[in-house]
Amino acid sequence: MDFLAEGLRRAWTLLVAGDSEVYGIALLTLKVAVVATVISCGAGLPLGYFLATRAFWGRRAALTVVNTALAFPTVVVGLLLYGLLSRRGPLGGLGWLYTWQAIVIGDVLLALPIAAALSAAAVQGVDPRVRRTAETLGAGPWRTAWTVAREARFALAAVITAAFGQVVAEIGAAMIVGGNIRGQTRTLTTAVALYTAQGDFGLALALGLVLLLLALVVNIALQVLQGRGHA
Amino acid sequence: MLELRAVRHRYEGRVVLDLEQFTLPRTGSVAVVGHNGSGKSTLLRLLALLETPTEGRIVFDGTAVPRRAPASLRRRVTLVEQRPILFRGTVRENLEYGLRLRDVGRAAVNGIIGDAVDRLGLAPLLDRRRHELSDGEVQRVAVARALALRTDVLLLDEPASSADRAAAGALYRALAAERAARPFAVCIASHQLEDAYRWADDIRALADGRLSPVTPENLFRVDLPPGDGVKHVPVGSIAIVVMTDRSGPAVLAVPPTDIFVSREPLPSSARNVLRGRVTGLAIEHRGAGVHVRADMGGVELIAAVTADAARDLALTPGGSVVFSFKASAVQVF
Repeated sequence: MDFLAEGLRRAWTLLVAGDSEVYGIALLTLKVAVVATVISCGAGLPLGYFLATRAFWGRRAALTVVNTALAFPTVVVGLLLYGLLSRRGPLGGLGWLYTWQAIVIGDVLLALPIAAALSAAAVQGVDPRVRRTAETLGAGPWRTAWTVAREARFALAAVITAAFGQVVAEIGAAMIVGGNIRGQTRTLTTAVALYTAQGDFGLALALGLVLLLLALVVNIALQVLQGRGHA
Repeated sequence: MLELRAVRHRYEGRVVLDLEQFTLPRTGSVAVVGHNGSGKSTLLRLLALLETPTEGRIVFDGTAVPRRAPASLRRRVTLVEQRPILFRGTVRENLEYGLRLRDVGRAAVNGIIGDAVDRLGLAPLLDRRRHELSDGEVQRVAVARALALRTDVLLLDEPASSADRAAAGALYRALAAERAARPFAVCIASHQLEDAYRWADDIRALADGRLSPVTPENLFRVDLPPGDGVKHVPVGSIAIVVMTDRSGPAVLAVPPTDIFVSREPLPSSARNVLRGRVTGLAIEHRGAGVHVRADMGGVELIAAVTADAARDLALTPGGSVVFSFKASAVQVF
């Protein structure tokens, strides 16, 4: 138990002292998570709306694929992406392997199915009369989608939270395509894994607490946004 | 103006609407009557250009509507659903919704909404949100929201189903006032026949997704003489005995199920005893019922009897028949 208390004390000291390494890792994690969440939700929410509202050949199959992708193992995504981005891979020319951009791509690939599948479910949960009413009052496709999204705002906020949660807690792909390079691609999760393995439990714990704090702040922010809305 | 041609509409393979032709005239008011599930709501959704018919086409002002009707075309028609829904926000924001889409200026929006609010008595509700409204109030707001758009075609699906009598009256008065100010086509689906008889120029019956050749009731537009109590009202060459205090223009309805059918006049309390000839027999309700159509000296009446009764009376086209019904069975609208 002593080492746990010692770890907590160390974590507290690092956080209060504003340790540059801890905050550097936290900032990089936040940057990667925000960019990946914006991209995955920016593409996934419209995709979910499309899957939920448009009747087209293969729609059921597309939904099955998206739902299956929810359970895609993160290390497998990392592995595939590694193959694509490595020097011999088709995207090797980009030179993105072991960069934060590579982590963003991995995170997007993992969060996109979450954003698409959950937003499709959220839109399907909206009363179909909302869409019909918007259309019969003269709304075009974009305005109709916006009206439906407003009605599903609580569920869609939960989708964004879930996507952010996936991205911020992801380790497998980040480790493989990021490489856990100090000061460049070391995120909170990869750092926690590394420092735990090295026996620096205090630092690992401090980073773990920052990760929790980050998730908490984002959730509170989304809840505040949701709370502003009335029926 | 708005027309369905050779339309067959299916849901999951099942035909829910099968209409050779359905036309909504430019300034006409058409009532579509029929039981729940007869296809009324589907018909209105097609007319509202919200759905594309599985087969056949919709023609608007002589031009075929493409599969995905453009918003510019949809903006000329609007539908108020049977159980309308209000969007998140206040009643005022709901009333503004369609006008904002049409880029109507702020001053004009206020003026239009003011008119709609006055007509339907919505002023006290303007700042309320949907969860603060009763079903009847939601329905009134939805009608006002549609009226405010001043579309060429207004489609109303059971517009007074959640309203009490007074509210329903106000709603129809508002509609009449709007039509007097600005002629437009209106189509109302209703199972409340009273609505249909009172407000429509033309009544069409739907049954199992098809236009029913049989009028749902025996309807007669009449001019009721003044006075109270029992009146002999001329209808074509015959007179129908009615019990009413009303006078002036009205619609009489004789429910087919209230007509007693016999071969010879029978002593009874019925004040209306009409002798005529059978012009047609139509089997209804999967063979259990028969609609007996008879010509009563130039006036056609329909009576509903069981298949057994039709057989026992040996009713055949051309044969003589007597229809009897009480003066109190005749409904006055």
